[in-house]
Amino acid sequence: MPPEPAIRDALLAAVPSLRAFAISLSGQVDRADDLVQDTLLRALSHIDRFERGTNLNAWLFTILRNLFHSEYRKRRREVEDPDGSYAARLRVQPEQGARLDFEDFRSALAKLPHDQREALLLVGASGFSYEEAAAICGCAVGTIKSRVNRARSRLASLLAVDDAEDLGPDRMTRAALQAIG
Amino acid sequence: MMHDQGKRLAKVYPEPAVQELGAEPTLDREIQARIGDKLRAMYDELLEQPVPDRFAALLERLGQRGEE
Repeated sequence: MPPEPAIRDALLAAVPSLRAFAISLSGQVDRADDLVQDTLLRALSHIDRFERGTNLNAWLFTILRNLFHSEYRKRRREVEDPDGSYAARLRVQPEQGARLDFEDFRSALAKLPHDQREALLLVGASGFSYEEAAAICGCAVGTIKSRVNRARSRLASLLAVDDAEDLGPDRMTRAALQAIG
Repeated sequence: MMHDQGKRLAKVYPEPAVQELGAEPTLDREIQARIGDKLRAMYDELLEQPVPDRFAALLERLGQRGEE
C-alpha cells in the first residue's frame, strides 16, 4: 500500500533530525544515511502501528535507535570506541570546510559511554523530554536523567581540562619564554 | 640576560587558576550551559546539512508503486 502524501511529507520532514541523530550516534554519514533509509522503510511498513496524534518524530527515533542497536550488537567492538575510531570519523564527517571549533567537543563526546551519549543527544540536542527519551530508549525516566547528568559532568571535566591546557598560565608562560628566548 | 627576563615574566603570572575555579560556585553552571550551547550548535550544523535526494526519491518511488 503506498503511503498517503501526508505521511510521506511528514516522513520527509523528519529526515534532517533523523540524520543528525544517526550521524551523531554512528559517527559516519554513509552509515547514518543507510540507517535513516531503513528507518523510513520500516516506518512505512509498520505505519498501521503508529498512533495518529502522537509524536511521529519520537516514534521514528525509536525505530532508528532499535535498528542502530541491533546492527551494533553485530559490531560490538566498535561501541565503546577503544581506538578512537568514532572520534576520527566524526572529525571528518561535517561538510567540507569543517568547523574546527567543534573538534574538541566532538572528541570529548566520543569519549562518553554509548548510553550516556545517546541520552544526551536525545535530551540536550534533539529536544525530547526526559519522558520521551525514556520511551525511545525503553528505560526508566530516572535512568535517562542519570545518564544525562553523568554525560554532562564527564563532558565538563573533559572540556575543562582542555581549556586549562589551552588557556592556562603555564602555556602562556611557555609561549612568552619562547618568544623572548 | 634574556633568560632572566623570561623567568621574571613567568613569575608575573599567578598560580594556576585552580584555586579560583574552586572558589567560584557558579562556574559549574556556566560550564554546563556552555556545554549545552556547544552541543546544540554542533547539532544544528548537522540539521542544516542538505538532505540527500535519495530520501525524497525513495518516498516518491514508494508512493507511485500502488498507482501502477
